Amino acid sequence: MTDTVQLTAERAEAAAEVSVRDLTVLYRTDQGELPAVAHADIDLPTGTITGLVGESGSGKSTLALSLMNAIPAPGRISSGSIQVNGVGDVTRLEGRALRRVRGRALGYVFQASQNSLNPLKTVGKQLLDLGRAHDVQDMRGLVRRARELADEMGMDGARVLDSYQHELSGGMRQRVGIVLALVLNARVLILDEPTTALDMLSQAAVLEIVRKVHRQEGLTTLVVTHDMGVVSEIADRLAVMYGGRIVEDGPATEVLQRPAHPYTRALIGATARITGDTDTARALPGRPPDLTTVPRTGCVFRERCPLAMDVCAETEPQLLTWAPDRRRACHADPATTAATGEGA
Amino acid sequence: MIEARNITRTYRTRGAFTGERVVQALRGVDFTLPRGGAVSFIGESGCGKTTLGKILTGLETFDGGELVVDGVELSTVPQRRRASYFRRIQMIHQDPYSALNPTRTVDQILGDPLRMRARQTGDRAAGVVDRAAELLELVGLEPDGVLPKYPHQLSGGQRQRVVIARALTVDPEVLIADEAVSMIDVSMRLGILGLLRDLRTRLGISLLFITHDVATARYVGDGGELHVIYRGEVIERGPTDTVIQSPVHPYTQCLLSAVPVMRGLEEPGPDRLVPLAALDERTRTPGCLFAPRCPFADERCTAEHPVLGRTGGVEQEHACFHPVPRRVVAVETV
Ligand SMILES: Nc1ncnc2c1ncn2[C@@H]1O[C@H](COP(=O)(O)OP(=O)(O)OP(=O)(O)O)[C@@H](O)[C@H]1O
Ligand SMILES: Nc1ncnc2c1ncn2[C@@H]1O[C@H](COP(=O)(O)OP(=O)(O)OP(=O)(O)O)[C@@H](O)[C@H]1O
Ligand code: SF4
Ligand code: SF4
Ligand SMILES: [Mg+2]
Ligand SMILES: [Mg+2]
Repeated sequence: MTDTVQLTAERAEAAAEVSVRDLTVLYRTDQGELPAVAHADIDLPTGTITGLVGESGSGKSTLALSLMNAIPAPGRISSGSIQVNGVGDVTRLEGRALRRVRGRALGYVFQASQNSLNPLKTVGKQLLDLGRAHDVQDMRGLVRRARELADEMGMDGARVLDSYQHELSGGMRQRVGIVLALVLNARVLILDEPTTALDMLSQAAVLEIVRKVHRQEGLTTLVVTHDMGVVSEIADRLAVMYGGRIVEDGPATEVLQRPAHPYTRALIGATARITGDTDTARALPGRPPDLTTVPRTGCVFRERCPLAMDVCAETEPQLLTWAPDRRRACHADPATTAATGEGA
Repeated sequence: MIEARNITRTYRTRGAFTGERVVQALRGVDFTLPRGGAVSFIGESGCGKTTLGKILTGLETFDGGELVVDGVELSTVPQRRRASYFRRIQMIHQDPYSALNPTRTVDQILGDPLRMRARQTGDRAAGVVDRAAELLELVGLEPDGVLPKYPHQLSGGQRQRVVIARALTVDPEVLIADEAVSMIDVSMRLGILGLLRDLRTRLGISLLFITHDVATARYVGDGGELHVIYRGEVIERGPTDTVIQSPVHPYTQCLLSAVPVMRGLEEPGPDRLVPLAALDERTRTPGCLFAPRCPFADERCTAEHPVLGRTGGVEQEHACFHPVPRRVVAVETV
């Protein structure tokens, strides 16, 4: 009997809070509907912070928005499923049921959220609006919870609730966004570019708070960023996107130490760092593709890849497990990608 | 060459509810920017970096101090003749998206200032086309592909290169790069930084590099100096590597500690430091401006104002009563 209990506990621990399968999201363009995310498979394991990185336009925000089934029409999820623990498949929800899930189960802080608060209403007023939209009965409890969260994040909760957006600094607005995302007790927190407009000290403070709240509340967190530094500072796991595909994922430290996809390797090599030889750093040649310029056959990265071979133009590489807990989508030998590819 | 001596700038604004607000954006900044040299100013948001850049390009006035360009003190030059000095100093703005007119092609964006410049210098306008192509090649763009394009048809990195090419149309001696790479996609940042470095070595252009991202300051080239600015005051300065590897001012140490550590490749510096509080630019004190946030503040720090100097037997200049070198930046592990 003890054995079964332990087994279930273990399984529960390894289980994913969010499980994305074969997700494809299409946007309408002048060349017809094109995928911004194509056949994405990814799990957010319970209790972990996953970092999602990639250049501008790689589909990070689109993937993150899909988790809430919030792709703006005429964009649409055209295939796949997104299982959220205790909720079911989010892609099948609509209307009232969907609105309940957003906020209650999934807390989302939008990209550029430092500018997304309503400038005409105090934070407190916006909190009450949020409560009303979610049919919260205990409004007092809601306000109390918001104050607690704000206090935990190093702000004066009462003052923050009485403030208008312009009275808060960028770092404070970012934190208010997190408070509003968590106040309905969401278990999953999605942060899209949480530190992009902030200076280094504010960035470090926000990351510290995310880490603390994540741990304290036992959350499952997804941090979307284009900044390798931010990811490596905060994430347990790392997923790399390019041209709408997840091209590599695994434990953050391992991926940073031994990137197995040429793109991951190039991104790391292109990051301005405070240590090491500045001469070995290299910008990536070329430019990131958009929906219309992503290669339609073969590997999406092939036009910028130093290792591209004939097969790369013909067959799209699948995201496959190549070592324990490591996946990559590349035709080249993992040993080669780790050893070469020091830019062009 | 630019020499700035004791530049001060105070802003006074009046809000309907808040009453008069006085911000000392610059409190006596001085520096020398030699030909082909690089000086980086780093500091957190609101410490006066952009104000300094604007003053140097003539976009903002200053209340005190002297600005010397190529040996001429600008206050002695009549207003209408100052433009010719400020022409030599060009600013690259942080946002390549709003810096370019969306209704004009790259051809026009570069052609107009080039023709104006040709009129000033008496060159033939016929050379304009060649010069535009030459400048694009200099910034690493392929002229034929780029010239007919509108800004929205270019990537962020390409746009920033066009902005730099446009600054070069007037043959500047000094470029002021204010957060010139922060809006650029990560993968292209190093490319722009490398370009700025090249302009220094190939054309002898001086570079004033303004940023809150300390790591990027390492990539603008050798022989650079790092000036750390806090609430309008330079509180530490010296050779870039010295200041990064063994900073002595606690504020510099906090800034450097905030640079994310690339786990797996780096380990956090052993003396990593966090400020005690967030920046509050309203605090007034006769003492050290950083004292309310400084983990090492004592009575002297709150009573007396430390001035920039070389004391305590350390290599760089600093404004701290208790200068102690600390290893705060990440250490490479592989
Ligand atoms: N509503 C939309 N309609 C059409 N195309 C869109 C829409 N939203 C995004 N796209 C396109 O889809 C692709 C992916 O966009 P997405 O916003 O997911 O990228 P991202 O990785 O978040 O980029 P960034 O780092 O710039 O935020 C881009 O090419 C973008 O131009
Ligand atoms: N035109 C103005 N009127 C009033 N105050 C101003 C004005 N311009 C700047 N300030 C104030 O002067 C101080 C310095 O501003 P500045 O823009 O130079 O900072 P910065 O270091 O460039 O910051 P950031 O990193 O956010 O760009 C700030 O407190 C700012 O609010
Ligand atoms: S599949 Fe080919 S082109 Fe794509 S990343 Fe691998 S080696 Fe490069
Ligand atoms: S002078 Fe004092 S308060 Fe100021 S930085 Fe030095 S130790 Fe800290
Ligand atoms: Mg995005
Ligand atoms: Mg600025």
